[in-house]
Amino acid sequence: MSEAAIKVENIGKKYNISHRSRSTNDSLLSALGDGFKNILNNKGSRTSVEEFWALKDVSFLINKGDRVGIIGRNGAGKSTLLKILSGIVKPTSGRIEYEGKMASLLEVGTGFHGDLSGRENIYLNGSILGMSKKEITARFDEIVSFSEVEQFIDTPVKRYSSGMYVKLAFSVAAHMSPDILILDEVLAVGDAAFQKKCITKMNELSTSYGRTVLFVSHNMNTIRSMCTSAIYLEKGNVAATGALDKVIAQYQNYFKENVSKGISVGIKHLSESGEWEINTDAQITVSWEKNRFKPGWHCDIACYSFDGIKVFALQSHSFPGFSSMDPESNAITFTVKNVGFSNSELRMDVGIRNNADEPYSIVVENCAVLSPSDKGLPQYARQDVLVIPQTSCKANRYE
Amino acid sequence: MKTVITSTDKSLLNIQELKRYGGLFRYLSLRDVSVRYKQTKMGFAWSIIRPVINIFIFGILRYLVDRSSGFVESFVEVSAGIVFWQLLSTTITDVSNSLSTNSNILTKVYFPKLILPLSSLLVCLVDFLIAFIIFLILFFSFKGLPPWQIIFLPLVVGYGVVLCFGIGLLSATASVKFRDVKFILPFFIQILFYASPIFLSSEFILSMNIPSWIKVLYQLNPFVFIINAFKFCFYGTFENYDVTYAIVSTVITLFVLIFSVKYFLNFEKSFTDYI
Repeated sequence: MSEAAIKVENIGKKYNISHRSRSTNDSLLSALGDGFKNILNNKGSRTSVEEFWALKDVSFLINKGDRVGIIGRNGAGKSTLLKILSGIVKPTSGRIEYEGKMASLLEVGTGFHGDLSGRENIYLNGSILGMSKKEITARFDEIVSFSEVEQFIDTPVKRYSSGMYVKLAFSVAAHMSPDILILDEVLAVGDAAFQKKCITKMNELSTSYGRTVLFVSHNMNTIRSMCTSAIYLEKGNVAATGALDKVIAQYQNYFKENVSKGISVGIKHLSESGEWEINTDAQITVSWEKNRFKPGWHCDIACYSFDGIKVFALQSHSFPGFSSMDPESNAITFTVKNVGFSNSELRMDVGIRNNADEPYSIVVENCAVLSPSDKGLPQYARQDVLVIPQTSCKANRYE
Repeated sequence: MKTVITSTDKSLLNIQELKRYGGLFRYLSLRDVSVRYKQTKMGFAWSIIRPVINIFIFGILRYLVDRSSGFVESFVEVSAGIVFWQLLSTTITDVSNSLSTNSNILTKVYFPKLILPLSSLLVCLVDFLIAFIIFLILFFSFKGLPPWQIIFLPLVVGYGVVLCFGIGLLSATASVKFRDVKFILPFFIQILFYASPIFLSSEFILSMNIPSWIKVLYQLNPFVFIINAFKFCFYGTFENYDVTYAIVSTVITLFVLIFSVKYFLNFEKSFTDYI
């Protein structure tokens, strides 16, 4: 039985969103006015304050030495959770207990001051991150050489290029030594070479003996390579927690069938295992209610890797023999063969328009995630390779 | 070391924790000092120029309004008030701004927030020290050595800083939620300036032909006592000294300090929800 490092019990965070006038209670005068009104009316006069729970009843346990990835869509409460854990934001309900020294890295270069030199900023930023002067001095040379800005260490950082700035900032953060490390998706800054260095350093930091790490990221590959388990947040609740593969699979399942803005996107894998293996097809079906678009509609999809690189885009009308002239048609199926996508999940945007000259009448971003399996893929092909998908597409009718 | 975070956390001042963040306090203080006059041609000369200009303006004004003493005499007396007032007013303003100027740190890292207003004090004291040397030179050359009462000086300066820290802290806390405070504060400071014996001595004000309730109100102003106490250190006589008002001033100061610190600590944990 391993020791618990962090115990989170029923954490909730409530925000009040006021709807009527945006400035209610923003100024002393209106607050005073409201106050007087309240006295006169003997009841609250502020109208329609909606309660919004960014987190609700979140409970979990993290063992010492665990490296936990926190995943979830934008707005699921990941950052709020990290802020509560690191003590920046006070929870509305619940209780958190943890053992040891905690450091959180929610931003690169917190407290950097442009007028101070690189040297001064290392000390300032280090002390903001909770390092003592002794610790900073002991690691100073290491920090400087890691940052690759030795030459400019006595120059005010406002004269730095933005690349130099983040490199220095990251270097300070990378040399902390807490028991519990909280990381938002801040690593990998600078140019490609430095990014690689950052990730290696982060891995080293988080895998070094006994350290507990909480890590928020949208990149499933980074999560897979760095973490031992995961927590999946959905609309402020814990949707799944536990073994990495199980939780990630559940997270991705969410995207397989998605309805948004009246557009429904479904993904079906035509392989025996039900995964998008190499040389098998995935059918991406986009459908909408009848008569929403005129005959002759165009439907385009684009898939991006999680670091934002467009991997492929398909336009219905570029397929020979494709027709969307059927007045009853209200769906389209793209068939995409996996010819070697293995390195990352692909997120998908869909756009539909009435004809080629018009702008899209509807665009749904992040409507689905394609997750290629690397089963059956030769080892040498698991590197960064450029692939051109084999695709076909046809218009359907759905009742 | 075990840490517990709960929604019902009512713990207030944690001295142990403040001590642990001593390094942060030091670096933030030093940052403020070294950044103050960055990219100005004259650098710390501004700490001298600002009070000197004020001394000239109000020295002349004083001489025009109140001819009861000679030009040099009133000039030296005004400079005492101005130099000390500069410390008091910058303390109020800097402490008051300490949270909003550091909001980027506030929302990204945890630390005892009281460090921010505390660390903005050093730069005010450094500024004062420079201006104070100018005043000393002025005083020595026209009035010679100060009397033995000068030993009270550190006490008086500390007392003034405590009151101004309290006022600044109050305004800093309130301005997290109500930005209005930022606009009110300059007027408040301006009123205080004229309601204190800085360029017009309290003797002159009290001998003026005005309703007596205004005079009572004037004397209730804790700054009247503080600035007269500062002059007392150099002149050996306490203008219009009255035990009642001394006590009132002390009580107000203590009340402001305790209330502001309590208000700050109570509200501290929800700063990030508003800022």
